[in-house]
Amino acid sequence: MIWQILLLSGLILFSILAILSKDLIKSAISLALASLFLGILFFQMNAPYAGVFEISVVAGLITVLFMLTIALTKAEGDVRESKLARLIFPLVFVAFILIDVLVMKGLLQKVPALPDTSEPGAFGDVLWKQRTFDLVGQLAIILAGVFSVLALFRKRNKDE
Amino acid sequence: MIFLFIGLPLVVAALLPLIGKISKRVLPDLLANAVFLLLLVLAVTAGRQVISEGPVLKQLNWLGEPVGITVAVDGFSLFMLMAISLLTLCVSLFSINYMEHYGAKANYYALLLMMAAGMNGLVLVTDLFDVYLFMEVAAIASYALVAYGLEHDELEASFKYLMLSVIASAAILISIAVLFGMTGSLGFTAVADGLRSLDAKFVVGFCAALFIMGFGLKAALIPFHAWLPDAHPSAPAPISAMLSGLLIKVSGVYALTRILFNVFGLTPALSQVLMYLGAVSIVVAAFLALGQKDMKRMLAYSSISQVGYVVLGIGIGTPLGIAGGLFHLFNHALAKGLLFLNSGSVQQATGTRNLEEMGGLAKRMPVTAATSLIGSLSIAGVPPLSGFWSKLIIIIALVQSNEWFLAVVAVLASVLTLWYYLLIQRKAFFGKLNERWKDVKEAPFWMTLSTVILALLSIGVGLFFSAVIKSWIQPASDVLARGIHIALGSWGI
Repeated sequence: MIWQILLLSGLILFSILAILSKDLIKSAISLALASLFLGILFFQMNAPYAGVFEISVVAGLITVLFMLTIALTKAEGDVRESKLARLIFPLVFVAFILIDVLVMKGLLQKVPALPDTSEPGAFGDVLWKQRTFDLVGQLAIILAGVFSVLALFRKRNKDE
Repeated sequence: MIFLFIGLPLVVAALLPLIGKISKRVLPDLLANAVFLLLLVLAVTAGRQVISEGPVLKQLNWLGEPVGITVAVDGFSLFMLMAISLLTLCVSLFSINYMEHYGAKANYYALLLMMAAGMNGLVLVTDLFDVYLFMEVAAIASYALVAYGLEHDELEASFKYLMLSVIASAAILISIAVLFGMTGSLGFTAVADGLRSLDAKFVVGFCAALFIMGFGLKAALIPFHAWLPDAHPSAPAPISAMLSGLLIKVSGVYALTRILFNVFGLTPALSQVLMYLGAVSIVVAAFLALGQKDMKRMLAYSSISQVGYVVLGIGIGTPLGIAGGLFHLFNHALAKGLLFLNSGSVQQATGTRNLEEMGGLAKRMPVTAATSLIGSLSIAGVPPLSGFWSKLIIIIALVQSNEWFLAVVAVLASVLTLWYYLLIQRKAFFGKLNERWKDVKEAPFWMTLSTVILALLSIGVGLFFSAVIKSWIQPASDVLARGIHIALGSWGI
């Protein structure tokens, strides 16, 4: 119980830090820590899959993307790509995928099977067979997000 | 075939940015309009099937194996599909000329297609979480489209819209999570079934309140309307037409009524809440509209007021009231779409949205002025245009269920509506021609064509209203009037 309270307080504390901090890097790190706490909480509450995804995707992948974006942009808003950044992104990305593949498999084997709910079946079964529509919807959301970014950050070309 | 309503726009949207590299204007124009035309044809074909054979439930087969993608078309979803297909086609035709000066047309059409895919998905799914997902698809596309001009006001309006929408999404998601926790399932049928066997009035009330708040925010009903008067005028005109004509109704009214009627079942208390929310929206927004000088802002306030009529009608809960509400939803989609498109024509010709600066434009833009007049009179409820019949049905339904006070409110607010629409007509189109506009020309071909189509539809639906109601308003209102039995019975899952 004390653990849970500590974890929850940490989650809230770092979430607040993520919002209040003026420095974007500190913000991103706080967010990663917050989702790390959340991931541990998921594990404790018998939702291992949610925990794995929370830690690997939100605390891991998204933080890396944030850091890279922050590293690529300057306060003035003009983006200059350094050679280092161009190298770092694929490297980190490959490293992340490698770690993910190597560690995730072991981790997923260790997590206990989902407790019986009214929708029985293994996680993969539920995701691929019963909730396939969610995947389509999520794909659509990601697409919509990409188009939005393309539209909002397009160069305004008057003569086009 | 029904899966095409979601799949086709998604796939074409994904290809469009690539096609945009080859051809900046012609191919995106052609492709997007062809898709919307095809979707309209599909909606008509699906409609004939549903009307002759009853509701359709389809599960997707992938390589001979069924996968967990299920869509259902009943009278209500068919009705919404038709409205979406009709208006998006007109909006897309209008965009051919109008979006020229914004640039990046391929990207624009990609977002428009995503929005259509999101709305089509929302009306076809049979699952609470999928409702949320497709609502977000349409919403994300609409945030970008509101800010498409990239000016300061547009970005600010889009940000405000985004922030308030996030609150709506959170409320909806919490409610879905609670329902999932209670019933262990997300499908409409299973949740309706689960709620019937549980005696959890308090929790159901809590969830209903969250849904009303969340979807009410999406539909911009009065206490939740703050984002709409900024977002709708700031968007490019075709997008304003989409937002006011369709999006607030699909992700607000449709989702709310589908869940409240077919999953929770309408209780007298819920009915009262809906009716009074509707009535307050009608009156307050009508007064707010009167004071506006910006043409599009006035139209935006009018949208809040008219959505109030829709919710008031549906909230009565009697078959006649629901039919009136849905009929008004359709009529308002046509007429408000038309008026926002016309406001775009005027803005493009004169460069202003300020009603005080306009005047006498009817002499220079006769078609735009004529179609505007038809749209205005239809919304204001002047016979024989379509808006008159739907308001009449709502008022008769109110009288039948002894809601005299609300009936009087609806009639009086209708007079207010006529007043501010005549104000628009007088200030923009009639009177003496302002010297500044002596060189103004009528809008280009595609823009005029799309508004003429919408105006003709408004007249046609008004003249043949009994046939329209019988053929596809009635099946839609039956779905709602039968309440939770529709989810439990006819879909049969």
